[in-house]
Amino acid sequence: MTNIKNNRPLDLYDIQGNICKGYGRFGFPKARYCFFNFKHTRSANTFLTHLIDRITTSETWPISDDKDHQNIKPKSTLNIGFTYSGLKALKLPERSLKSFPVDFTMGMRARSSLLGDTGISSPEHWDDIWQDNKEGTGQVHAWLAINGRDLDAIELEFNILEDLIKQHPDGVRLLPGLKGPNNTNLNYQDASAVFENGNPTAKEHFGFTDGISNPYFEGCGNSKNRIPGRGKLMRDGSWQPLATGEFILGHIDEAQEYPPAPEPKLLSRNGTFMVYRKLHENVDTFNNYIDELTKDFSGSRDLLMAKMSGRWPDNGAPLTLAATDDEKACLDARMIALELRVKDGDRSALAERKILRSKWSDFTFADDKSGGKCPIGAHIRRTNTRGSLETENEAFDRPGALVDRRRLMRRGLPYGGIDEAMSDKSEQGIIFMSIGASIERQFEFVQQQWVNYSNDFKLGNDKDPLIGSHSGQITDKHIIQADTDSDLKDNKPPFFCTQMPRFVETRGGDYFFIPSITALRMIAEGMIDPS
Amino acid sequence: MANTSGNAYGLTTLCPIINGHSPTGSLTTSLLATKDSESHDKKIRRLLQSLPINEDSLFARTDNTYFARLFILNDVFFQQGNDFKRDQLKSKYLCFNSNFHGELEPYLTRMWNNNESLVREIWQHCVAFDRVNRAKDFVEYIKSCQVTTTLFFNGSNDKPVKEQLKALYVKQMFSEFVLTQQGKSATETKQNFKYFLQRVQLNNIESPSWKPGQSQIKVN
Repeated sequence: MTNIKNNRPLDLYDIQGNICKGYGRFGFPKARYCFFNFKHTRSANTFLTHLIDRITTSETWPISDDKDHQNIKPKSTLNIGFTYSGLKALKLPERSLKSFPVDFTMGMRARSSLLGDTGISSPEHWDDIWQDNKEGTGQVHAWLAINGRDLDAIELEFNILEDLIKQHPDGVRLLPGLKGPNNTNLNYQDASAVFENGNPTAKEHFGFTDGISNPYFEGCGNSKNRIPGRGKLMRDGSWQPLATGEFILGHIDEAQEYPPAPEPKLLSRNGTFMVYRKLHENVDTFNNYIDELTKDFSGSRDLLMAKMSGRWPDNGAPLTLAATDDEKACLDARMIALELRVKDGDRSALAERKILRSKWSDFTFADDKSGGKCPIGAHIRRTNTRGSLETENEAFDRPGALVDRRRLMRRGLPYGGIDEAMSDKSEQGIIFMSIGASIERQFEFVQQQWVNYSNDFKLGNDKDPLIGSHSGQITDKHIIQADTDSDLKDNKPPFFCTQMPRFVETRGGDYFFIPSITALRMIAEGMIDPS
Repeated sequence: MANTSGNAYGLTTLCPIINGHSPTGSLTTSLLATKDSESHDKKIRRLLQSLPINEDSLFARTDNTYFARLFILNDVFFQQGNDFKRDQLKSKYLCFNSNFHGELEPYLTRMWNNNESLVREIWQHCVAFDRVNRAKDFVEYIKSCQVTTTLFFNGSNDKPVKEQLKALYVKQMFSEFVLTQQGKSATETKQNFKYFLQRVQLNNIESPSWKPGQSQIKVN
């Protein structure tokens, strides 16, 4: 375990803001992602030099938006990342280029078969922008993200960006080919939190509450109250921050090593890698499947959905907290009562509510080994195993030793669902972005071994019920285990969700390097020197 | 006991490969044309790399093979920390390992009888194999190259391969049967189970079942 006291604080002003912050939580429910091609290195470098001062860093912001604080936060944020071909176009020295890990240099398209991006999800079906993968004017070289408090703030920043592009017509091209609503072809990808009653929510288009329990790492600058459930699980049941090097290059990781990183060190330190994926959600297929299956299921539609994801769709409460419809009703009643008391100014209710809400993240599957509460194959139990892979007593140093090296820091937002009625054919889903020091060890492993395979869970070749690459066969299944752990054994058989279709399809994406501010400046000035 | 574990047999052999190049024009292969100027080990390697796989594999065609492999040993390295040793061998070796059900002699006889031309093609590059003319000679030849082993392939029990394949087939079919019975009444499930039993024919080890080396899901 790394010792927090002995570790120098991170230079948050050198680290891009999207690494340490999920912007949504800080009041930025809207985003626009755009992609560039660098036509001419010198002109592209000038473009980048002008951009640097606009890039948002990880400097600490207050969560609250009161009068004292509202000027600290910008109205919009800007972040940038490069593909391998982008770094080549910017003429990084050969030795630096060769020092990047092979997953990144190959890019997501070339890794599609191991990611389960096959059939309808295979690259030939992706949006046009991802089709031109040969060196030339159509290839994606850079990703730029604007997050905003509202669409106006985004438009404002986007206009500035467009002006800057106009000033560098020979150097930079904003790429079209992103499929938008109503069959439009756009040069940007808009994303937005799903709004309910005028307020942004954490929902996605299937109706699940998403994005809970993102990892907490040493030095990230977030409140320490957020460590339980988000850090690493210790033997005594407490939680500690994950090592910085799991998410940021140039720092020690959970193996007590510096993660493999490109040279020179100044190029990689305080930078990281990001996976960008446009994941289309087949809402009709999903809703029809759930409606049909609910008829045979001995519980509510919400419970069935919860048994697939591991969390209740309406508020994201984990099944470990409420595993049945009755338990959920009790939890809801408790929450409502607490809200009322809080409204009446009851301070103890405030504290009580905080403790209860912390259980949304602060839980393990230790009391649910058979999966009677949260099915073993449920989405959250696959993507963040929380110590459940330690099946033999104290087999590892820590219960979660295996998952601590495979955590995914999720950044991203839903897209679509605003300008057209939702169906399988309309454009809606999730812009999935995952940040980590190793794409292969973290994202690709989770995707290949835990999402699209189940050997580690002793579930044969079952796949993730929500995002697995299913094809509607009888054996494309998810097992909802019966509760055999509790004293109230109901002797029910397990419930099988079979013939699962593909609810989520990949529509494009790539792997990006997110440099530090220092490295970005050096790239822009052509100063990278690995010798 | 060395080389056996219950009814499983672990065979490890090291057959010395002839040093130098093969004589001009003396060798032809049905699987691929090799240059006459190539050394014997190179010719074996090229042949091994082009062997038929899955259902057509030499070992799928030799009943009761659990797991087998052929590879070439050039030299022997040992490294543990800073301790490093390298043995320069007198020749290169063709290593043939096989884990199978039953006894050695009948197994090797089956291997020869079912695949004689391929076996000749592979082993013709080994020292003294020119004296092998029939199954009995092959058995003796392999036994003379045998090394005692106590290591066994972990992914198999010691039952005959056909029995294991049938068991896997039934297990897989039963899973599918269970998945299709959800929500059905006990009477209906019972009736369907009868049909299931008729279909999978538990006592017929030959069919329906998976074939050795089968790579596609289709029942024979």
